[in-house]
Amino acid sequence: MFIIIHTSEILMLIVVIIGITRYGRLNTPFKILALSTIANLVIDILSDIFNAKYKNNASILHVEAITEFIFFSLVFYYLFTSQITKKVITVLIIAASVFSVINALFLQPFHTVFPTYVNLPTLALLVIFSLLLFKQMLLSPLTTPLLKQGVFWFNTAIIFYGTTMFLNIGLSNVYIKNPSTDYLIFYFWYIILYIFTILIGIALLTDDKEINSTNAL
Amino acid sequence: MRYENIQILVLSTAALFILVTGFIIYFVILYRNKQIRNEQEKEQLQGRYRQEMLRAQIEMQEQTLTNISREIHDNISQVLSFVKLDLALTDGMAEPEKQQKVNNSRELLSQTINDLRNLSKSLSFEYIAVNGLVKTIETEVERVNNSGLLHLSISIEGASYSLGAQRELVLFRIFQEALNNTLKHGSAEHLKISLHYFDQLFNLTLEDDGAGFSTELSENQSGSGLKNMENRAALIGAVATIKSSPGNGCRIKVTLNPQEEQIYADGTYPNSPG
Repeated sequence: MFIIIHTSEILMLIVVIIGITRYGRLNTPFKILALSTIANLVIDILSDIFNAKYKNNASILHVEAITEFIFFSLVFYYLFTSQITKKVITVLIIAASVFSVINALFLQPFHTVFPTYVNLPTLALLVIFSLLLFKQMLLSPLTTPLLKQGVFWFNTAIIFYGTTMFLNIGLSNVYIKNPSTDYLIFYFWYIILYIFTILIGIALLTDDKEINSTNAL
Repeated sequence: MRYENIQILVLSTAALFILVTGFIIYFVILYRNKQIRNEQEKEQLQGRYRQEMLRAQIEMQEQTLTNISREIHDNISQVLSFVKLDLALTDGMAEPEKQQKVNNSRELLSQTINDLRNLSKSLSFEYIAVNGLVKTIETEVERVNNSGLLHLSISIEGASYSLGAQRELVLFRIFQEALNNTLKHGSAEHLKISLHYFDQLFNLTLEDDGAGFSTELSENQSGSGLKNMENRAALIGAVATIKSSPGNGCRIKVTLNPQEEQIYADGTYPNSPG
């Protein structure tokens, strides 16, 4: 279990290093993505500390849930070309932030319960953004091969993460009450996390503002 | 939570995982197909563009040859025949009269040499590429004015700049087509040519005082010269508007934004050297 958790953190660290070293060559949305990986790593380390010290990292997960959504939504904001979609994203970011505070204070107390009320709708929203971005990509394909486009890898990461984590995160409060049953989930969770981190790493590696501009065919 | 429920959860997540993988593979294939289709369309567009440019060049060459042939027939050969006849008459003339005839003939020959020189400057693609649109139109104006067929006047507003060899070729071809129409059908006496060079706007306007025509009728004639002008203008990202009515002459205006980085179908930019 120790190896699995720390392998995930090492992977995250590698992705952070990729993001920092390539920061100057990245387009604006991928610069935000690079910053999100740093925030994610910090939150992950804090989560480990809280787990070790208080045997509960729920409060950190409350912060993680909303920061993750804000960062990824901002990435989508810059990737979408439609002004209406951009406005919708702005409104959703504000709404989710307000709801996250209300949830932490009144619905799912931040020091005891996982923020599933925030996670579930925000993950669903990210999946919708991802599908919309796939549609936008199809409508105006670039000359650059798809596998060399950072946006494809980012979008793939989000759709994988959003759909497969949906059930796991949604039921995290159930697992905590049944610790004997969560080994399988634990491994599954980390497999998804590995894939997600690797895909984000590829996205940061492939994006290049000099090559991958929005030069539609 | 019972083990069976966990199994169901894991299986559903795995199913989602497979579903998403399938979706991604499907997307990759769909995207590639779209890229191929777009590339094919682009190639077709490039082909059409090249054909149009070639046609414009060939038509211009034909027009040049017609001009040269007309000039040789109507002017040069007439003058030379006259000189020949004049010189033939000098036999048996007194020396001062003979000298007068020779002097006249020399003047006529000098004028003919001048005409031939002008003709050699006649309008080829290279001429436009080297001298630019304004100079080429001015040369043509001078040629037509000398012929006496029509009176052309030209006005230029703003500081002229290059629009790119290919765009200028197409614009000149539109000008030539309009001039030809005026000469052939317009029964006009004057043709006013205006070139407006602004920062974000270029206008070429041709106005004649001829008989005019109904634009509605000519629109129905597909493949007509007017349609050609509109199509050619569209090819370089310009808009050609043709206004005419019976008895009111004809006004052709070609407008384009020179700063618009419209990439040609062949991948070059309008302001590239050609």
